[in-house]
Amino acid sequence: MNIAMILEMAADALGDRLAYGTRADGLSYEALRQAARGIAERVDGTGAERLALMESNAPIVPATLFGAAWAGVSYAPLNYRLPEAQLEALLGRIEPAVVAAPHWLDNKGSSDRAFPDDPDAPAVLLFTSGTSAEPKAAILEHDQLLAYIFNTLEFASAGEDEAAIVVVPPFHVAGVAAVLSNTYVGRRIVPVPGVRFSAEDWLVTARDEGVTHAMLVPTMLGKIVEAMEADESLRVPTLRALSYGGAKMHPSILRRALLLFPEVDFVNAYGLTETSSTVAILGPDDHRLALYSDEPLFTARLGSVGQPVPGIEFRIVDASGETLGPDEPGEILIKGDQVGGKYVGTDSKVDADGWLHTGDRGWLDIEGYVFCEGRADDTIIRGGENIGPAEVEDALLQHDAISVAAVVGLDDEQYGESIAAMISLRPGVDEVNLDAVCDWVRERIGGLKTPELIEVVDEVPQTATGKILRREVKRLLEEQYR
Amino acid sequence: MANQMGKRYTCAECEATVLVTKAGDGELSCHGVAMEIAQAKPLPSSD
Repeated sequence: MNIAMILEMAADALGDRLAYGTRADGLSYEALRQAARGIAERVDGTGAERLALMESNAPIVPATLFGAAWAGVSYAPLNYRLPEAQLEALLGRIEPAVVAAPHWLDNKGSSDRAFPDDPDAPAVLLFTSGTSAEPKAAILEHDQLLAYIFNTLEFASAGEDEAAIVVVPPFHVAGVAAVLSNTYVGRRIVPVPGVRFSAEDWLVTARDEGVTHAMLVPTMLGKIVEAMEADESLRVPTLRALSYGGAKMHPSILRRALLLFPEVDFVNAYGLTETSSTVAILGPDDHRLALYSDEPLFTARLGSVGQPVPGIEFRIVDASGETLGPDEPGEILIKGDQVGGKYVGTDSKVDADGWLHTGDRGWLDIEGYVFCEGRADDTIIRGGENIGPAEVEDALLQHDAISVAAVVGLDDEQYGESIAAMISLRPGVDEVNLDAVCDWVRERIGGLKTPELIEVVDEVPQTATGKILRREVKRLLEEQYR
Repeated sequence: MANQMGKRYTCAECEATVLVTKAGDGELSCHGVAMEIAQAKPLPSSD
C-alpha cells in the first residue's frame, strides 16, 4: 500500500471536514487531496526521485508529504533553519531531487490521478538530528509507516470537534507521524510555524482554536509550565490529551505539568526516526498511578517511556549481545514491522534477525516497562563509575533557578572524565550561587555525581526539537576551560 | 452485510487481514467463511 491511501480514505469519507489550519481558513481533506494531486503533477516529468521541502509548518507541508507519495517519489523535509551551504550539501546527498515551493498549492490536480503501489519503496527520507554524529538520511518505507498507523489507530475515530496542535517541525519524524496519524483518525491539525518557540503564543493559539490534543518535546513543555505558573490566565480549557517525547523528559518538570493540567491525559511517546515514530507509550493511567501511589515500582514510572505499542518488541542486551533480565541496563534493541533502520548510502542498523540496535541505553522493569537513559555514548565514566547525564540534569532542574541543564563529561587526567554542566536560568532569575547549586545536587544524588564545573549561559545549545546538542555543549566547555 | 469503510477484517483460519479502503455492498470472506471485524485496541493519542 501507499501512504497516499491515508488521505484518499479521509477525503472519501470525511471530505468536507477541516484537515489542516485554523477554523477560519483551514484546508478540508478534499482540498488537501486536490493539492497533493497537483503537487504530484508538478513532479511528473522532472526526473526527480525525491521531493524536498524547506518550509516550516504550513499547508504546503501535508500537501507535499502526500503529493510526493502520489507522485511515487520520496518526501524529504529538510531543516530550513540550516545555513544555505549546509542545505545545499544535504540536497546533494538526495539527488535527483526537486524542491517544493508554497505556490505549488495553487495547482489542483486532476481527479483521475492515481498513486503507484510499491509498499517497499522509500516514502520518507529524514536526516537524523546528529546530536552525537554527522546527520544520516534515514529511509522509511510506505509499509513501515503504515504498520504504525494500522497497528495503533482506528480510521475516522476522532470527533469533529477534535484538533491537534502541531509544533514539531516537518523535518522531525514526529512531524511526519502527526500528519499521517491525524489524517487517518480525521483530527484537524492546527500548525504552529514559529521559528522560535513561544509558550505564550502556543497557549493562546491552543485556546483560540479549541485544541483538544497536543504533542510537545520536553523543553517546550518546560517553557509552557513556566509560563502557566507565571500567568494564571494562560490556560487551555479544551485540552484533553497531551503527549510528549523526542528527548528525555525530566520527572521534576513532568510533576509540575501534571499538577497544572489535572484533567488532561498525559502520554509519553518513545520512538526514533528509524522506527516510524512511536514504539512505546506510557499512558494516562500510568501517569496518575505514578503521581499518587507510594509504591516505588509505580512512582518510578514517571521516568519510564512505557510499554511497547502493538507489533513492537523490546530487548536489552549487554556489550557481548547477551539478553539481559529485568532492571539490568544495556543497549535497547527494537523489532517490528514499523522499524526501518536503512540509510541513504550507509549500512543498515538492523541485524540479521530484524533487531534495530538503537544506541540508546536503558532497561525493562519486571512488568516490561521501558526505561531509556539516553544515548549510550553520552554516559560519563568518572573514576570507573558510570554516570548517566539525565540523573544529574534532573537534580539540577529541581532547583528553582534553573530552566535548562546539560551535563557532559570532559577529559580529566585523574578520573578519566569529569562532570561538567551548562545551565540557563528561569525567566526573572538574574543570578545563582553555583556553590549552593552544587550543594543542592550533592544532597540529592551524592558527591560522586555532582558537577565539578557549572557554566551559566543564556541559551543551552539544542536542536529545533529541544534535544541537547551535547557535541556542541562539550566543545564550548572544552574551549572555555582548556 | 456490507463492509465498513476503514475497518480491518481478519480471517479466523489464516492470518489474512483486509483493510476496507472503499466501502461497498459485498461481503468479505476467506477460507469459505465471512471475515470478522478486528477490534484494534484503542491506544491513547501519541502524536
